[in-house]
Amino acid sequence: MAGDIALSVDHLVKSFRIHQQKTNSLKQLIAARGRNRYDDFVAVDDVTFDVREGEVFGIIGQNGSGKSTLLKCMAGILQPNSGTVQVFRRMGALLELGAGFHPELTGRENIFLNAAILGMGRREIALRFDEIVDFSGLHTFIDQPVKTYSSGMYVRLAFAVAINVDPQLLIVDEILAVGDVSFQRRCLEKFVEFRSEGRTIVLVTHDMGSVKNLCDRAIWLEHGKAIDEGDPADLVEAYTERMLGGAAPAADGSVRRGSGEIRITEVEMFTQGDPTPVKRCRTSDSIVLRLHYQAEKTVPQPVIGIEIQSLGGATVTAPNTRDVGMVPPNMSGTGVVDITIPRVDLLPGTYDLHTSITDFNRAYVYDHVQLALRFDVMTGKPYETGGLVTMRPQWSLS
Amino acid sequence: MAHRNLLYLLSLKELRTRYKKSVLGWAWSLLNPISQMLIFTIIFTYVFGQNPLAGDPSGLKNFPLYFLCGLLPWNFFAITTSTAMGNVQNGAGLIKKVTFPHEHLVFSVVVAQFVTLLIETIILFVALTLAGQTPLVWLPILLVLYGLWALFTTGVALALSAANVFFHDVQYLWSIVSQLLFYATPVIYFIPLIKLDALRNVANYGPTGSFIVAFHDVLYDGRMPSIARVGYLAVLAAFTLAAGAWIFGKLSPRFAEQM
Ligand SMILES: Nc1ncnc2c1ncn2[C@@H]1O[C@H](COP(=O)(O)OP(=O)(O)OP(=O)(O)O)[C@@H](O)[C@H]1O
Ligand SMILES: [Mg+2]
Repeated sequence: MAGDIALSVDHLVKSFRIHQQKTNSLKQLIAARGRNRYDDFVAVDDVTFDVREGEVFGIIGQNGSGKSTLLKCMAGILQPNSGTVQVFRRMGALLELGAGFHPELTGRENIFLNAAILGMGRREIALRFDEIVDFSGLHTFIDQPVKTYSSGMYVRLAFAVAINVDPQLLIVDEILAVGDVSFQRRCLEKFVEFRSEGRTIVLVTHDMGSVKNLCDRAIWLEHGKAIDEGDPADLVEAYTERMLGGAAPAADGSVRRGSGEIRITEVEMFTQGDPTPVKRCRTSDSIVLRLHYQAEKTVPQPVIGIEIQSLGGATVTAPNTRDVGMVPPNMSGTGVVDITIPRVDLLPGTYDLHTSITDFNRAYVYDHVQLALRFDVMTGKPYETGGLVTMRPQWSLS
Repeated sequence: MAHRNLLYLLSLKELRTRYKKSVLGWAWSLLNPISQMLIFTIIFTYVFGQNPLAGDPSGLKNFPLYFLCGLLPWNFFAITTSTAMGNVQNGAGLIKKVTFPHEHLVFSVVVAQFVTLLIETIILFVALTLAGQTPLVWLPILLVLYGLWALFTTGVALALSAANVFFHDVQYLWSIVSQLLFYATPVIYFIPLIKLDALRNVANYGPTGSFIVAFHDVLYDGRMPSIARVGYLAVLAAFTLAAGAWIFGKLSPRFAEQM
């Protein structure tokens, strides 16, 4: 039932005892005469939120901000110092790179073990066994002990088990980090499928793209405190700004970073035959995007790129000069770069344009302007109600 | 019981991993007490020149059988307690990632070792029968005693394995303590031959000794242990199990962050 609460976290506090000396042996304890000094480190500090049924809920925050600790409290692995976690749905959890596996046991045995832990009967799991192995793609390794698995294989198996035990609420910590591209794609597909089936997902990830694209709502943790909660796109934007050296947005809302040897000073858009810059065009218009640059010194082999994003955060296109083999040996002074787009295939909506100038390897950033231009596409021909771009389909019915 | 399937799988794993890698497999588990028994027999017969006491009323007069009657249950206790500590520690990967009743890591060891004990006892029964005894008569009471012994062992194993998560040298300490316990338990000697009263009382009424005496009663002497002793054993088992379960229950919620 949409709208119901699937998981509720109420004033949750979790702190760890950080001992001056780790006392894992009696000798140390006796040496300290029992007066072992310690500090309490608050990893999760009074966090409250609800996750609604059918929602994908994201948790973002920098390293050590308490995301994994929060998830472990939700999964019942850590006992909170105070506050409560209430889980109203059958929960499956994938915590920090992999499920609980016994290293000495084979993949097959671990599948059965995990399913048993999650409360499935032997017959039930035997029915799903093939599906799990198929999803993990580990057919040839399934009878090897999991201690011989690579970390990616480990996660594949863990994910395959977790989604096949039919959880109504899935808690996932950083699953996408170690899988290869094909596996990441399948995970994302599975998340989307789960969402469309009305299941609930709580997702911790450093991949801001998936937060923006997948999540319905998100929370931002910093030093264990929930400092913001709400629309993922807004949160991600604010978070990215903070993470990238606290660049403050300019008056027009753009955010600039990079070393600054060369900068894009202005971005203009023109429609055909009109010398005044505009902020809107129609589907199928011919437009020119004009980037003005200014270089403080001579910059070798700069790669100039743009990225057009929908408001929902999906990147529609991101061309750059390196892809078309047009990297000048060097650039200096001021000038303009014109990008002519003979036919705009975007469907009506609002789009953001980001620009970047990097070195040839795309590693060193001279200049990156987030939201250099926001423009609207209005109804033109063809007109389609869904999607972001048109592929100009030719229909024929017979 | 919730998670019955989990206990089954963990116990199976205990039984399997133990002997999987060896050629002789299960035979090893039998070879161990047999070799111990042979060593003790040789030492007592040829080094100390001792004679075994006769069982009363069985009349059995046999070092190897006397030793086996105590060694099998003793090994169950010693191996279960030490393995359980290791099993909980090795379960870190599970404990830190999934929620499940941690005590199953201990129970599975108890179950697996108990199965081993039963198999060894079958062999012992064959040997006793060949020696002219009728051990099958005593099977029901033996199973009751074995059951109490298993509860007692579970209690000790729970307490030790929980403590060991917090202080890793519990396991080293325990290997010394269990050796002392072994000598304080009448496995390789006869209680009537002890010269010192205090020592005789320890052997007879100490927590492990009182169980082993009952096993000797049933298997070697061929008689019913006194009702008082069985009652005492039941109280001992119940108390130890309750204490162990209490300690484990108190500490296990903190395992994940301690590991
Ligand atoms: N068992 C523990 N004992 C002591 N401190 C701990 C323990 N577990 C976590 N911490 C501390 O709690 C803080 C939060 O850790 P946590 O793993 O939740 O961060 P995170 O947000 O998941 O970070 P990352 O993005 O790197 O995964 C860290 O400072 C960490 O050192
Ligand atoms: Mg983490």
